[in-house]
Amino acid sequence: MIGSLVAVILLAPLAAALGCMLLAQARATAFLNLAAAIAVLLAVLRLLPLALSGPYTFCKGYLIVDPLGAWVLLSVASVYLLASIYAIGYMRAHGRTERVHRFYALFAGFALTTLSGPLMNNVGVYWIAIELTTLVSTFLVCFELDRESIEAAWKYIVVVSGGISLALLGIIFYYWGGSFHLGPTYDLTWSTLRDVAPRLNPTIALTAFLLVLIGFGTKVGLAPMHTWLPDAHSEAPVPVSAMLSGALLNTAMIGIARFIQVADAARLGSLPRVVVVVIGVFSLFVAALFITRQSGIKRLMAYSSVEHMGVITLGFGFGGPLGIAGALYHMLNHSLNKSLMFFGAGNAMQAFHSKRISRIRRVLCAMPIAGLLWLAGAVAITGAPPFGLFLSELTIMRAGLMGPNGWATFVMLALLIVIFVGFLNHFRAMYFGADAAPELAPRPVPAKFHLSIWCLLPMWMALLPLLLLGLWWPDAVSRYFAVIATQLSSAGAP
Amino acid sequence: MLAAQLQPLAASVFSLIAIASLLLAFVMLGSRWLNDYLIAFAAESWLIAILSAAVGYYGHYPELYLIALLTALFRGLLLPYLMLRIVRRLHVDRELHERLSPSASLVVGALLVLFAFVVSSHLGESLGLAGTVAVLALTVMLSMKLIGFLMLVVRGEALSQILGLLVLENGIFLGSQILVPGMPLLIELVILFDLLVVVACFGVLVRYLVTHTGTSSTHELRRLVG
Amino acid sequence: MRDILLQIAQVFTVIALAPLLQGVILQWEERVQRAQGPGIFQPYRDLWKLFHKQLVVPETASFIYWIAPVVAFTCMLTVPILIPVLTNFPLPQSNMGDILGGGLILTLGAFLITLAGLDSGSSYGGIGSSRAVMLGILAEPTLILVFVGITLLAKAMLPFVVNHLLVEQPAVYWSPAHLFLVAAFFILLLVETDRLPIHSSTHIEVYMIDEARILEYSGPLLGLLRWASMMKQFILYTIFSNVLLLPWGLSIRGTALGALGAAVALFAKFLIVAVVVVFVETAQSRLRYFRYQEPLAASFLLAILAIVANQLR
Repeated sequence: MIGSLVAVILLAPLAAALGCMLLAQARATAFLNLAAAIAVLLAVLRLLPLALSGPYTFCKGYLIVDPLGAWVLLSVASVYLLASIYAIGYMRAHGRTERVHRFYALFAGFALTTLSGPLMNNVGVYWIAIELTTLVSTFLVCFELDRESIEAAWKYIVVVSGGISLALLGIIFYYWGGSFHLGPTYDLTWSTLRDVAPRLNPTIALTAFLLVLIGFGTKVGLAPMHTWLPDAHSEAPVPVSAMLSGALLNTAMIGIARFIQVADAARLGSLPRVVVVVIGVFSLFVAALFITRQSGIKRLMAYSSVEHMGVITLGFGFGGPLGIAGALYHMLNHSLNKSLMFFGAGNAMQAFHSKRISRIRRVLCAMPIAGLLWLAGAVAITGAPPFGLFLSELTIMRAGLMGPNGWATFVMLALLIVIFVGFLNHFRAMYFGADAAPELAPRPVPAKFHLSIWCLLPMWMALLPLLLLGLWWPDAVSRYFAVIATQLSSAGAP
Repeated sequence: MLAAQLQPLAASVFSLIAIASLLLAFVMLGSRWLNDYLIAFAAESWLIAILSAAVGYYGHYPELYLIALLTALFRGLLLPYLMLRIVRRLHVDRELHERLSPSASLVVGALLVLFAFVVSSHLGESLGLAGTVAVLALTVMLSMKLIGFLMLVVRGEALSQILGLLVLENGIFLGSQILVPGMPLLIELVILFDLLVVVACFGVLVRYLVTHTGTSSTHELRRLVG
Repeated sequence: MRDILLQIAQVFTVIALAPLLQGVILQWEERVQRAQGPGIFQPYRDLWKLFHKQLVVPETASFIYWIAPVVAFTCMLTVPILIPVLTNFPLPQSNMGDILGGGLILTLGAFLITLAGLDSGSSYGGIGSSRAVMLGILAEPTLILVFVGITLLAKAMLPFVVNHLLVEQPAVYWSPAHLFLVAAFFILLLVETDRLPIHSSTHIEVYMIDEARILEYSGPLLGLLRWASMMKQFILYTIFSNVLLLPWGLSIRGTALGALGAAVALFAKFLIVAVVVVFVETAQSRLRYFRYQEPLAASFLLAILAIVANQLR
């Protein structure tokens, strides 16, 4: 049963990608992609409760289905569906029909590589999956083939490839350390690494952990390795930005979470967790600085991604059942919310034909319903109740106060307040603010800009679960997180 | 561990190949002509292939012969050929805008090698492996990574940045041949092919870069700030 | 007693044969360029002529003007005591200084000549001194690194230990550490003995580096300075050949016949090195001044690689 679900999850996007390459027709490929996304989400929803009963391995131990991976798959699959729906409206509005089938083929391929990340049991193959996501998404980032997007794609691939080569070095170090005890040839799976971790030489284990943290941290977008993120996320087409922010960062984050577990098992003292917490706080700090002074709407969303990845890192760094639960809840909520924000930004860009915040004014006049949804999303993403991110941030802060790195909680709180003020200031200006200086006066917009239903529906589909998860933290989810927390703690089972 | 119990002759052969690869990396760092880079990179890949074969011979890992052959073919012949095509198409033959002159970057690279030397001596002592070829392999691996990053920072030509990334990968591959020769064949093969895909992607991207930006120097890519 | 005689013989060998080496190099260069050449004994005739000329001293010269040639010559007399010239066992006073000490004494002589160039206040002396110091900034750290590399190779600071090590263990001779040291020292040899690509062979003062420092000298003092620079070249060649490149052919037991044979073998080794130097010099043109850092950076790099490659043993 689980095996067939995994097969659906992996083969549906693959089939969609191949089909889009062969069909070469705009409408058909759009719906082919959408069908694959629906199939993947249904399979993941069915997989979630089944994965609860412990890790299952397939394909001679190369694939693993465990609760943590299933949860990340849920966030990836939901973003895939939302982005696929939005992409239909977006690509139609942009009017390029002759290359659209390539877009959908790359999009499905990107979804395939992102979905395969949490399923990989062998650490080396996980690294390869992450590298493949970089390669496929580069072409999506530069899809619009203008100067800025090619610049963004170049910076993306150079910085991220350089960063994850550091991660490869760390993985080689882990393998080398393990080879002292397990012989020269063995399969480096997550469980093997956890089991051999107590016997690893501390210097090797620490060096390897730091390398892997910096390496995969580049992919996640933690400061100071985040320099590619604002460029890539702002220059990509909107559905791709949503996938990058909502799905890809989570796939890389799962690697860091598993490596933190290995570092705990290696008993290296408090240094690994302190480093993780410091990096998380620094990401929040950098994001706060760049959010308050920002001029581009999509770059604003990208820096908000940096902020939230910092918060998730803090959650995993604080550890314990509360920290892990908060981080995981935050992952799902952030995926939904970030997709909502990017879709709203895409709609605003269509209405006002500009990416600059100073040119977007009186949003409610142009797109009333989408504007309200977007404003609700903005309030949510800065961590205000009654939305889901408030609950998860509160949980993470509680975990922080209980642990040894309590100072980080206060810094986090202060920075979140700064981000709240800065972020919503931009929205205040866009919705209720006066016009900018006369020479920058926005072009007159029609009284009501017609937005395709394909662009509006995903915003509803993102906001409603967000509201629901904010008002009610289901018991089933709590139990789910408790199982994951037990498995991730060093005393836990496989 | 293989590196700890080697006969002296094998250890000398490994160390000679490793040091020669490092020297070639410095040749890449210290020259302005893109053709020189490619020749040095091809020579370095061939040396690493010979190292793979030597490790396979002395350590009795027959699958490493296959890896050695594939490395020589793909990294030693195919990749330089692909990049030579890119160079010809772009009509650039030398590095025009670098932030650091070649001799200054040679000196900085030498200081980075010293840093890698200190780090790996420390690591070797804590593992009890001091004085074996493992420490040298660690030094060469770390210093090639640092030199690769130096090339990425200092060079402005798009092709030089690709070569910097490839030097990074070469360093890791070299280290892994000496330190962990028993790594499963599948992983080594996939990493090898992954490099090929990376270079293919870069080729397409560089073509876009030149077509839409008009230049292949990455110092011109300064529009996205803040 | 015999050892003290041997040590004096070493110093005399250096004094006597230094001009011959210079003569050979210059003659071969001329021959390679299809000219007649002045003959290999020309430097002797030059020195003889200089010692019989009148001394002309500038009015603005101070005591440094007088002591610089003397000190430089004396330094060049001191260093042969420390290095293996004729014998491969240490002689009585040879632990007065090790490799690093020898290098520092050589630098002392160059330093005083640089001061002398500034001393008389002429502008060409200033140019020469500043250029020489500039080259020194680039070359001296590399020289010290090479000496450190040699020390790490033998795990001892005496040149004699290095010599024994290279003769007895061919594995060390062919190890990358040693080969890189040879290459680095060769580049430094070219720089310190004022050969192309660093040197200017024209007599136009604005291009001169080392010779501009001694433009104010004449007569016997100039003779001493010329002799000191020839001896410096001889000493550097001796270090290069006897310690690094061709450590064979030194007298083992110290008999008179052995010492004589060692001197002949020494000169034969120098001829080999001189062939390579002449080849390098003829094949290259002079680098522009701002590019002098390039061969020196390469030499620095090779020295560091040699130190790193030492890790194996």
